[in-house]
Amino acid sequence: MNPLLPFLMAGDPSLEALPQLLSDAKALGLKAVELGLPHSDPIADGPVLQAAAHRAIQRGATPLRVLQSLTGITDSPDVVLFTYLNPLLQLGAAELKRLLAPTPVRALLVVDLPFGEEPAFEAELRAAGYPMVPLLAPTTTLGRARQILAERPDPGEGAPFAQRFAYVVARLGVTGTGQGLDLKPISERVADLLPLSSRPLAVGFGLSDPRSLTAIRRLGATPVIGSALVQELAEGRGLREALASRLVDDL
Amino acid sequence: MTLGFTLPDRFGSQALGGCYAPETLVQPLLDLEAAFRSALLDPAYLAELKGELRHFVGRPTPLTPAPRLAAQLGLKALFLKREDLTHTGAHKINNALAQALLAKRMGKHEIIAETGAGQHGVATAAACARLGLSCTVYMGITDMARQAPNVARMRLFGAKVEPVEAGQGTLKEAVNEALRAWAARCDRAHYILGSALGPHPFPTLVRTFQTVIGEEARAQILEQAGALPEVVIACAGGGSNGLGLLVPFLGDPLQRIAVEAGGHGPDLGEHAARLDGGRMGVLHGCKTLLLQDDHGHTAETASISAGLDYPALGPELAALILDGKVEVRRASDEEALSGARRLCQAEGILPALESSHALALLPALAAEGAATILLGLSGRGDKDLSTYQSRSGL
Repeated sequence: MNPLLPFLMAGDPSLEALPQLLSDAKALGLKAVELGLPHSDPIADGPVLQAAAHRAIQRGATPLRVLQSLTGITDSPDVVLFTYLNPLLQLGAAELKRLLAPTPVRALLVVDLPFGEEPAFEAELRAAGYPMVPLLAPTTTLGRARQILAERPDPGEGAPFAQRFAYVVARLGVTGTGQGLDLKPISERVADLLPLSSRPLAVGFGLSDPRSLTAIRRLGATPVIGSALVQELAEGRGLREALASRLVDDL
Repeated sequence: MTLGFTLPDRFGSQALGGCYAPETLVQPLLDLEAAFRSALLDPAYLAELKGELRHFVGRPTPLTPAPRLAAQLGLKALFLKREDLTHTGAHKINNALAQALLAKRMGKHEIIAETGAGQHGVATAAACARLGLSCTVYMGITDMARQAPNVARMRLFGAKVEPVEAGQGTLKEAVNEALRAWAARCDRAHYILGSALGPHPFPTLVRTFQTVIGEEARAQILEQAGALPEVVIACAGGGSNGLGLLVPFLGDPLQRIAVEAGGHGPDLGEHAARLDGGRMGVLHGCKTLLLQDDHGHTAETASISAGLDYPALGPELAALILDGKVEVRRASDEEALSGARRLCQAEGILPALESSHALALLPALAAEGAATILLGLSGRGDKDLSTYQSRSGL
C-alpha cells in the first residue's frame, strides 16, 4: 500500500524547487504525488491552497511553464496533475498530450469535471495514458459511486497507483486543515467504499497530523496531505523533514 | 452516460452550460433540479409564489411610457418595464423570493448567496426575513465600498454579510466564496444564485423565475400600444435581467438586444464585453463565453456598474447570441452616465447604473431608424447615488 499521497502546489515555493521536491518524494519511497496547477478561481480550495496558487501565479507559474518544468524529469514518483478544467480546455487535448508526453504525469485529477461533461476530451486523454481520477464525495451515494468507478474504470492491477486510485473526499467543504477531523464518519465511509472495487483508495481533505494519517492507513487507504504540507514548504521546511514523522505510524 | 439530470442542461448549437461542478455539489444539484421540477407542478407552491410576488414584491410592475425622452431622441414611442419599482428596487427579488420558497420546501433553512451590486443580496436578505430563513451573503470588498447602502440594507434585514477580499473583490470572487461555503454546508443550506449562470440547474432555474418580466411586459405593451415594439433592449451582466425580459419575445419578429459593459477601454481588463473579448471556457460550473487570458485564467474586468462586471455571459444568453437570436451591443461607463442623466431629466426616474447601459444605446437605435422601443429598467439608482454624485459633479 502507498503510505502517503502528498500534494504540492506547482510554483510554490518556486518552479525551480520542483525537481528537487519530486526527487525527495521518490527517495522517500512514495509512489505518487499530486501536483496542483495554480488556477485563478480555485472554487474547491480553502485559504491555504488559494494563497499558494495566487503566489505561484504571481511568480509566473502558468500551466505551460509548469508542464515545461516537468519536461524530462524521471527522478520522480508518478505525478497526478490536480487542476481545474478551463486551463486544460484552453490548451486542447492534442496540445495537452504533446506537453504531457515527456513528463512524469500519469493521471489527471480535474476538480470541476464530473464524468460525462466532456466525454470526447476525457476519452482522448484516457486513451493516451492520462486517465481522470474518480472523486467520491461525502454527498456521493453508493449508487453514484459505482457509476463513477465504472465511468472512470480501473486500468487493472498492472497499472500504477496513480492511474488506479479513487480519491475519497473525507468531509464536506473545501481543501484545508480546519478543525480536527472526526475520524468516525470517514472510517465508516471507507468501509462502505472499499468493497465497491479492487482499486486503492486515497483519502483527503482535512488530514495533517500523524495520528489521522495513521488512522487512514489502518483503514487500508492512502492518506493525502495537502494544505498543511504546502504551508510548511512555503515557510521553508524541507519535504523530507515535513514528511518524516508522517510516514511513520503513530500508534 | 450523463449525470442524470432530466431538464435540458445545454443551450444552443455549441452546447453551452452543463454542470462542471465539484463532486461534492453534484448530488445537491441533482436534488435541487428534482425539487424545482416538482415545485413547478405543485399548485400550492405556484399559488404561494404568485401571492408573494403580488403582495410582497408588488407585481405586476408598470410599463411606463416615456414620451418626453422619446421625443428628445426622435423615437415614436419608448416604454420602460419598471423593475425598479419592485420591493428592494430591482428585478433580483423575483428569483430570490422564488428560490427562498423552494429552499423552504426542501427543508433547508439556511441560505447562502453572492452579490455584486448588492441588489441580489438585498433581495435575498429580504426574502429570508420574510420567510424566516437565516441568510449569509458573500460580497467582494470593492463592491461593499461602492454599494455601501446595500450592505446596510442587508444587515438591517438580519443577513450576515461576509466580505470577500480575494482578487478584485467583485462578483466573481463572491461567487467563488459562495460556492465554497455551499460545499461546506450543502447538507443543510441552499445556495440562491442570483444570475443565470453557474452549474445546471441554476441557469434554467433563474431564467424561469425571471421571465415574469418579459411575460408581463409583452402583455402590457400589446394592451397599451396595441402592437409589439420594434426593439426590446436590456442590460446583461450574467443574464438574469436580459433573459428575463428577452426570452418571452423570442418568437416575435423584432430586434432583441442585450447590452454589455464597455467599461473605460477596449483592452482586456478595461471592460466586461464578453462577446468581442471572450473565448469559450468554463467558469463557476458552466461553459460559456468568458473573458480570460492565454492560460485559461479568468481575466480582470472593469465597469462603473458593479452588476455588469462579471467576466462571463450566462450560458443560455451566450447561446442565444451566438445563434443569432439576440444581438449584443456595448455601452461605456461615460455613455451609461449620459443615459442616466437623460432619463432623470426627461422623466424623473433615477435608473441603476446597470439599466443605464441599456438607456445609453437609445440615441444610436434612434439614429438607426428604430421608432418604438421597450427597455428593461432593471433597477433603481438609489444605491448608485454616490457614483452619480462624484461623476456628475453634483
